[in-house]
Amino acid sequence: MFKPEILLVDDNPADLDLTSEVLARNERPKRVSSVMNGVEALGFLRHEGKYADTPDPDLILLDLNLPRKDGRAVLAEVKADPLLRRTPIVVFSTSQAEFDIMQSYNLGANSYVTKPGDLPEFVQAVESIENFWFGCARLPRKEEQ
Amino acid sequence: MKFSRAEILLVEDSQEDLDLTLHSLGHERVATDIIVARDGEEALDLLFCRGAGSGRSFENPPRLVLLDLKLPKVDGLEVLRQIKSDPRTRTIPVVILTSSKEERDLIRGYELGVNSYIQKPVDFEQFRKTIKQLGLYWLITNQAPVAGRTARAAGQSS
Amino acid sequence: MIAGELIVEAEAQKLHAKGEKLSVLMVEDSVADTELIRRELEHGGFDLSSEVVQTAEEFARQVHSNSFHVVLADFNLPQWNGMEALELLRREGLDIPLILVSGALPDITAVDCIKQGAADYVLKDRLARLPSAIRSALQEKQLREERKRAEHELAQKVEELARSNRELEHFAYVASHDLQEPLRMVATYTQLLAERYRGKLDAQAEKYIHYAVDGAKRMQTLIQDLLAFSRVGRQDTTFAPVDCNLILHQALESLQLAIRESGAVLTYARLPEVMANSSQLLQVFSNLLANAIKFRGSDKPNIHISAERQAGEFAFSVRDNGIGIASENAQDVFVIFRRLHTRTEYPGNGIGLAICRKIVEQHGGKIWVTSREGRGSTFTFTLPVTEPVPAAQEKFKQEYVQA
Repeated sequence: MFKPEILLVDDNPADLDLTSEVLARNERPKRVSSVMNGVEALGFLRHEGKYADTPDPDLILLDLNLPRKDGRAVLAEVKADPLLRRTPIVVFSTSQAEFDIMQSYNLGANSYVTKPGDLPEFVQAVESIENFWFGCARLPRKEEQ
Repeated sequence: MKFSRAEILLVEDSQEDLDLTLHSLGHERVATDIIVARDGEEALDLLFCRGAGSGRSFENPPRLVLLDLKLPKVDGLEVLRQIKSDPRTRTIPVVILTSSKEERDLIRGYELGVNSYIQKPVDFEQFRKTIKQLGLYWLITNQAPVAGRTARAAGQSS
Repeated sequence: MIAGELIVEAEAQKLHAKGEKLSVLMVEDSVADTELIRRELEHGGFDLSSEVVQTAEEFARQVHSNSFHVVLADFNLPQWNGMEALELLRREGLDIPLILVSGALPDITAVDCIKQGAADYVLKDRLARLPSAIRSALQEKQLREERKRAEHELAQKVEELARSNRELEHFAYVASHDLQEPLRMVATYTQLLAERYRGKLDAQAEKYIHYAVDGAKRMQTLIQDLLAFSRVGRQDTTFAPVDCNLILHQALESLQLAIRESGAVLTYARLPEVMANSSQLLQVFSNLLANAIKFRGSDKPNIHISAERQAGEFAFSVRDNGIGIASENAQDVFVIFRRLHTRTEYPGNGIGLAICRKIVEQHGGKIWVTSREGRGSTFTFTLPVTEPVPAAQEKFKQEYVQA
């Protein structure tokens, strides 16, 4: 059975914990990795250094405000890289600013989800992301390329 | 408070699939307004506010485009290419909804910047479930680009 | 004319008061004329210091090394003429009034000179006019400088305003992201704690957790409301003809649930077309209608919407049979975050009417409430009449009744 790989990019450990916990709640088998800044995210995707053996993620959940390399820059780089650009990126940010939303879509984000400030809603958002992308959408997986 | 009505542009030439999709969307009550285009040319006219869409404005784009691939006049992938290569329309979320099993279409779709790709399930119940999930995700979970702000924000980000 | 002369006199006196000599640069090849001019100016009350040049090179050198109050230039000189002196002053960006002092000058040329920027021209056989011509030229220059200063100050103000606007935008961004994020942590992790330890905590602990979550959530809504309030006015507000009947329909549609649940009965008259920003106007109607439903008494809400033309404006009214407002509070309701009831009685943050007022004022109208406690309220707002007004919209009659 298909076991999706998810990469979480977020500098807030509390959000990483919460997202991982919600993802772990349902029974769909999956593997969740996480990195805490933009440079690490690109290293992970390009299998650099300690990431030589990491799998290619099927979906990236990307926070916008990240240290070292901003989420917007990561988005722009991934979407400009012929080897990486097919990987769907869901921007997952606290920001509800229209500017952030528009800029993300302009940079090629596949989707933009605001982190809800309420636990049940947060759980619902993460479940909805998982259900749609792994239960509904067809992803450009490595073996299909 | 958001006042803009959720609007979906459904581009579909097959009458059965159209009925099924409309039924599923309506049944789940996830959308209030659905506009239908029966071929690629009509879809482009509606999106680019010309011809049949001349009464529309770039300020009020649909929240979501559901795009079939095998379309008369202009092919779905070409419609996608045009949407994603024009700054006035590129932020509109486009989801391909196709019965094509071709890997090529899948890869090409993502290469052209499609927001997501869905293969129509053959089973009716499965189809309905898929449309329901899709509606929930794109109309509720996902933050649509802000209507009326497309041009301005596109300018700012450059 | 007399008043003008007086001002000119005052200018000359100002020059004198500063103990300053009138510094004159003469472009003149006739020594006799130079002497005549000097004498005329001294006779005219000026304390004089002057230089005389004959060639363009000398002229250029002089205007750069000294600061002159005025240039007096003959029109016809052997190698060049006064027009070229004008051209040089303009090229160098020097604002020194230049008066042509010349023998017979064809009228057409004199007009040309003034058009080119000469302050005046004085015929050599009318030299008595020269002192007042100089005074006018000096005064004009002073006005020019004042205007330039005012323009500069205005440009600075505009720049300051733009900067404070950018700061406000930045604040709004910080509020929407940087403030929300820690708040989100407090709310979600407190909820997570409650979930994890459900049944293991005593009732008091559950209550405390509830207080913490409620506080964080209220803060989140407050930030959202504050942002919504600050957005009115920052958003580009394009005004277009708007059919208020359509706006009312949209407002009613968005309130469907509340209308159904409260059993509200709504009646409305035909509304006019106005120049407005449609989404903002929709917000005004929605907020007023939502309030009319929310602040209901024991009876089912009975709400009537109407419009009436009064002189240059339309007055829109939303009348309800709700709990009403005590007259001493009638103005308070439009103040941001001002609430007249506890949250348990009526939920809300006190932002809706503040937004309504901001929007109505931005449209050039006013909003107020007339009410009697326990007897319902009527909220009225005005919008300027769109010109020209289509005749059909002049008469409003009750056309629809919706239950």
